[in-house]
Amino acid sequence: MADPNENQEMQDMDQITSTWPRPPPFYKDFTADNLARLADLKRERAETSNLPSNSTPKTDSKDANDLLSQRLTGLPPNLRNLQPPLPPDEGAWRIFGDPYRLVQPLPKLEEGGEIRPVVANGGLLADGERDDKHFDRATVLKRIAKSLLLNFLELVGVLGQNAMDAADKVKDIRDLFYNFHHLINEYRPHQARESLIATMQAQLDRLRAETTAIRDSKEKVERMLEGLGSLKIDQEEVAAATTATGANTKAPAAAGRGMGELEGEMWGMLVDPAN
Amino acid sequence: MGDRLTQLQDAVDELAQQFVACIHYVHRHHNLETLGPNDEIRQLPKDAEQEVDSYPADVFKAAQVELAQDLITKEQQIEYLISILPGLDNSERDQERNIKELEDELKSAEAQHQEAIQEKKDIMSNLDEVIRSIRRP
Repeated sequence: MADPNENQEMQDMDQITSTWPRPPPFYKDFTADNLARLADLKRERAETSNLPSNSTPKTDSKDANDLLSQRLTGLPPNLRNLQPPLPPDEGAWRIFGDPYRLVQPLPKLEEGGEIRPVVANGGLLADGERDDKHFDRATVLKRIAKSLLLNFLELVGVLGQNAMDAADKVKDIRDLFYNFHHLINEYRPHQARESLIATMQAQLDRLRAETTAIRDSKEKVERMLEGLGSLKIDQEEVAAATTATGANTKAPAAAGRGMGELEGEMWGMLVDPAN
Repeated sequence: MGDRLTQLQDAVDELAQQFVACIHYVHRHHNLETLGPNDEIRQLPKDAEQEVDSYPADVFKAAQVELAQDLITKEQQIEYLISILPGLDNSERDQERNIKELEDELKSAEAQHQEAIQEKKDIMSNLDEVIRSIRRP
């Protein structure tokens, strides 16, 4: 990057072949130092602004969360981009000329024209749109599936008798299909939450398994170290026995004594961390 | 292969296509009948595009049966897909509570995990020292 020629080259290349836009220039501000500084600043701010709430230790974790979500003003320029910008006030914005909205409500069946809804209110309770009483979607869907078959049978019958009357039946079938899709689409947020739960559960299981595995291997190593210790004792005893028996086995005795010293050293090591 | 909802929607779309295909088949390959004694079936020249390409009665009948069976199979498939939709028994409130619980559990599990890693590091350095001291002559 220091070489100006290379820089120029890169820019030229961008103009010709860049598929995606380059990352915004402020990505360089996201250094570990800057992030730590921002966290410090936030903590300072929290301490100075709401001392009374900090005095109760129980709310500590909540305070920490508030602290992280809190916005600071008047930051130095290199830290300013570390805080995510606020969502747009009007809830709408444009990207590449296309309008986007923060809330994207599912269009109601009735709005799409002359589609007759099978289920009143689309299965949602009017206030708050929370299906606490749990609307039995599966049953309704199954009924619609069966109705589709029946209506098709009727359609074929009508076509056999008088093809001019078929238009109404076709409309029935169309409405049923639309209703089916609409009910499924209403269920999507539910499925999204359900997948989130499944993912979290999987992550939890994995984490726990990993923790257990680590603990197991740790215990194994501990046992091994202990085993090593007791092994040395045996050798020391052997060494002591050999020195006692006579002078004709000097060499092994020396080795034994050497082992004994090492032994002591080892025990020191093992005992120390336990304290 | 999408998620189950998408699979279900695809299956329903396929059912719609099968409806169309069935009608098309019957429309194209039915036999020709005379409604009165004076009617007669118009003979189109051989090379012209024929609107109806009549199949022999037994072939037509067998195809009809097969199409009907396919429709039933598809419908049963759809019902099966409906019955295995995820989380049919949970209400939104259940889910939210579930998510919160899982979040808390995840946090504590993460803490335990870090603890275990720290213990592992300790025991590793311990082991390291012991091994090095053994090597010493």
